[in-house]
Amino acid sequence: MSLKSFPAAWNKFFFEPQSPLNIAVFRIIYGLLVLATAFLLRGDWLAWYGPHSWISAATMHTVEPGVRLNLFSIIPPTDFAINALFVVFILAAISLTLGFCTRVSSIVVYLCLTSIDQRNLFILHGGDTFLRVSGFFLIFAPAGAALSIDRLLRIRRGHESAAELRPRLPWAQRMIQLELAFLYLVSFWWKMKGGAWTEGSALYFIFHLDEFQRFPIPQFLLRPAILRIGSWLALAVEFLLGTAIWIKKFRYPLLVIGVLFHLSLEYAINVPMFQWDVLSAYVLFIDPADLERILNRLTLPSR
Amino acid sequence: MGLSPAPPRFALKRWQKIALNIFIVFHLFAITAWAIPFRSPFVLDCRELVRPYLLWSGLFQAWDMFSPMPKATNTYLQAVIIYKDGSTQMWDFPRMELLTLTQKYSKERYRKFVEILLDQNNAALRPDAARYVARLPGIREKNPQQVWLMVKWSNILPNGDGTYTRTPLDQEVFFRYDVQPEDLQ
Repeated sequence: MSLKSFPAAWNKFFFEPQSPLNIAVFRIIYGLLVLATAFLLRGDWLAWYGPHSWISAATMHTVEPGVRLNLFSIIPPTDFAINALFVVFILAAISLTLGFCTRVSSIVVYLCLTSIDQRNLFILHGGDTFLRVSGFFLIFAPAGAALSIDRLLRIRRGHESAAELRPRLPWAQRMIQLELAFLYLVSFWWKMKGGAWTEGSALYFIFHLDEFQRFPIPQFLLRPAILRIGSWLALAVEFLLGTAIWIKKFRYPLLVIGVLFHLSLEYAINVPMFQWDVLSAYVLFIDPADLERILNRLTLPSR
Repeated sequence: MGLSPAPPRFALKRWQKIALNIFIVFHLFAITAWAIPFRSPFVLDCRELVRPYLLWSGLFQAWDMFSPMPKATNTYLQAVIIYKDGSTQMWDFPRMELLTLTQKYSKERYRKFVEILLDQNNAALRPDAARYVARLPGIREKNPQQVWLMVKWSNILPNGDGTYTRTPLDQEVFFRYDVQPEDLQ
């Protein structure tokens, strides 16, 4: 690509209308992941966010100052109000998943999610960050244009044809895709700064940290030589998912490798939800025609 | 797929396209400046520039999982509660390796929280944590006088022949908190 052709490529990438099917499937998976996050927190809503929580709102503000989008700073500091905020959050996530009042639902989900994260920044993992950032861009996406109650209502009112989907501007979807690729590339970059990854000992330490162990790993896989290769493979996979994912002929093989990579981490390492949160955005990289074929094969309506 | 041609209402006006491009470029710049692991004066200046917006909006992010160096120490956090009558009690922060699979999913936040509490940079959080322990049901009623936070740890040491050894558990009280009457209200 030359400097002269850059504006055209930029316009095509961000503004050439495309099927809203991918972002609609992403919306559904995203909504389910947000719901899972809220329910997994359920037993500790008040312990982490209540008026007598592990970290008080005042301490949080002192340690992490700044003006922040945080509904906890405007609702009354009572158990009832905190629980009510979570109920609103869950209802909005259900509504978003179903594609009902999609734009408003996505805004409410984002406001609640970012507030929950801002209220206690010391218990977050990468999956929370990815949900928050992609949730921001989802607000601007045509997430209710397919597979949604909103679309059914538009068809019933005669505003849309049931036979075809209108292409939409993909720029918000592209931002989520870029965020995913950026995540991998920066993770790779950070790892290259530490000797443990380049010399190959990193995975040994990770697999021998008690807090991260989930299911048993066969002993032969824990040999230093194997773990060294595993460390280097992790570096290679992260680099490729951050860069070559944009090259069409490498995309599907890389997505398969990425799925296997995250599923193996899900099996071996205890970082709940992170792998699923990241995998959710893979659907945005599938060709819309292929996605429609997959949905049809699963006998799901693709419109 | 049955895609209809893009209807005219999705054709952007010139000012809309300019505004969208500014929005896109700004966010790409802000997120990149914030998250890249690079500490040149220029990058730090850019980071300061975008900090208020990223903190406000919730778009701040860090992707340094297990890096640059993964931890090489197993650590466990306990609270020691000393009551007014002189008796003591140990309270364990949830330990992931002792939980069931479903508990691991719901209690993983404690793993992160313990990691944060042990970091000296987050010492300001320790009084709140100790206070929370003092207020726990079963502890509050027995008049706690002090709460100590105690870390136990075991290092993972490379042997030089490709194998590694775990050192015996060591322990240290790294924070002491005098419980105030108002803490128990």
